[in-house]
Amino acid sequence: MGRLVDLNQIAVSLGGLPVLRDIELAIDAGETLGVSGPNGAGKTTLLRVLATLLAPITGSGTVLGAELGTAAVYPVRRSIGLLSHRPALIPELTLAENLRHAANLSGIEFSKAETALRVVGLDEVSSRTAAASSFGMLRRTEVARLLITSPTILLLDEPFTGLDVEAQELIGALVTRTTGDGGAVVMVSHEVGQLASHTSRLLTISLGRLEPAS
Amino acid sequence: MTRVRVLLAIAAVAMGVGLWFALTAPTDTLQGEFTRIINIHAPSMWLAFLAFGMTALGSAIWLIRKQSRWDRLAEASAELGVMFTAIGLFSGMVWGQAVWGRAWDWGDPRLSTTAVMFFVYIGYLALRAATPDPTVRARRSAILGVIAVVQVPLVYFSVNMFRTLHQTQSIRPDGITMPREMAIAIFVNVIAFTIVYIALLFARIDVAKAEERAAADIALAGDAVKPPRLSEVKDV
Amino acid sequence: MEIARIDLKVERRLGDTMRIVLPFAVVALLVFPLTLGVDLSAISRLGPAVFWAVGILFGMQVALRQAAHDDPERRDLYALLGVDPAARFVGRTLSGGVLMSGFLGVLLVAMIALYSPDLPDGWLGPVLLTSLLVAVGLTELGTLAGEVTADLHNRSALASLIIAPLALPLVIGASSTLEAMTRDAGILPWILILVATDLALAVAGVGLARPLEEASR
Repeated sequence: MGRLVDLNQIAVSLGGLPVLRDIELAIDAGETLGVSGPNGAGKTTLLRVLATLLAPITGSGTVLGAELGTAAVYPVRRSIGLLSHRPALIPELTLAENLRHAANLSGIEFSKAETALRVVGLDEVSSRTAAASSFGMLRRTEVARLLITSPTILLLDEPFTGLDVEAQELIGALVTRTTGDGGAVVMVSHEVGQLASHTSRLLTISLGRLEPAS
Repeated sequence: MTRVRVLLAIAAVAMGVGLWFALTAPTDTLQGEFTRIINIHAPSMWLAFLAFGMTALGSAIWLIRKQSRWDRLAEASAELGVMFTAIGLFSGMVWGQAVWGRAWDWGDPRLSTTAVMFFVYIGYLALRAATPDPTVRARRSAILGVIAVVQVPLVYFSVNMFRTLHQTQSIRPDGITMPREMAIAIFVNVIAFTIVYIALLFARIDVAKAEERAAADIALAGDAVKPPRLSEVKDV
Repeated sequence: MEIARIDLKVERRLGDTMRIVLPFAVVALLVFPLTLGVDLSAISRLGPAVFWAVGILFGMQVALRQAAHDDPERRDLYALLGVDPAARFVGRTLSGGVLMSGFLGVLLVAMIALYSPDLPDGWLGPVLLTSLLVAVGLTELGTLAGEVTADLHNRSALASLIIAPLALPLVIGASSTLEAMTRDAGILPWILILVATDLALAVAGVGLARPLEEASR
């Protein structure tokens, strides 16, 4: 598929304060990119730019061929998957209902979602509400959602935090599948060691700028 | 459940007897057949007071002893109290509309304070429904249950404090001011309603126990979450 | 429809509208006459006006309840699942309209029972129609206000402040309909005001959905 992301001199600000500046980034199909940095460095902001959810204030860039900050990003958003550091599930719905909701909105058959629940190991607890589920269970449900939506670009925000070894391996399998299918993965974390073992390229954010990790 | 079935059967018989007394008791000259509504209205309000009193009792004992049985009593009794208050208010409004041409009389503090009491316990039940943790729910609703019971004597004595359209108590320590047969009919229906309350109370407590058992039977999540099938990830 | 379906399912489980807001609104109906004293004819005359005032003020809480459960992660998820913001607006208006209609319906029954208003002949149809139009308009306002105030710490009060004056055409149209019937005057102009308000809000909601979504980030 070639070049999936191309950012040129991107600057982003939040609440009137500059967060990212002079961002130059190219991501090709099959790549797994790790971005490290301390808390507040702008890692999550970078992910949200790559998700086309935040428009740059200066600079230009494309994600899956769509120019950032234009209406062109709307059709490509379905090909982007984001695992935020806080789970995006409706607390009053069960894990299965949350997955069914995502499947319905994506036009995916629920049988595929049931398979995904079994693969992530939640088939026997899927009738538990999200509010009554542990963080690990919520994460697995979100992995199930990403399995059924099969995004081309997978964005992971602190994906291993708070997870047991089995769940971490599941994230690893998701990453492998995405890159194997011609997609790309961007993973951000403040733990460089975890990133190094799961990524093919490592960058760091320092003073709002992206630099190769030392 | 056998205990509940027996009580419900007794309650059904008692209500039948109460109905017979209500239909055969004399009526008021001015109000006619509408007088018979008193056999629903008065017992309902008495049972509402009893039920909310039991809620306060269960709440107070829970605060001291922290045993779930008292919380179950408080909850079940509050639900029944709301039900009986609703029946009492509705029957009173039907009676008022029929006899005085107005379903609601703002000049009657007893009506207003009864309505306020109703909503206090609606709030109590809403608080319970909104609190998922059983212990937190029991503690918070026990506190509210003890405070809310202040409404009960306020409603009862309001009719003595204000000159109102509402009938003052007809059954007082110094005598009964209504025909004897009418008083007997009301008394029989109070007993019948009380048996209904007891039957429904036990039934509701049994349901609460079953719900608690069902919640405890749900497998601990740690046991029920299975290892992911990593080799099948690519096939989803 | 999926957005509306899930929204109604969540409401059924939480019960915010019917278990909390509605009883609160009925208590408000009780408070007004208690402060007026025992003037039964005044209470009867004021009934419909109090109904609309309470319905709109407390209806705002119903209209804003979806916004109260929204968070940035969920908004991002909907965006990445390809849910068009305009479709989300329509879905929320649908579910909110259903809830608001039920809320106003029960409140109407309570007002009639408590205030014994002198209602003109043939009042039921126009009152039901105006209630439905107010329900839709108020829901649209709530959805819009929720988006405009997304993630602000004083969101609830701020959104209510935004909605209240904008809801005035709804209040005026609804209360004037019944008053016109009482005077045997035509009600069409007032119905048209309600319809026009609802349509304007719908166009604004759909047309501004994308900019609002971008502004909420």
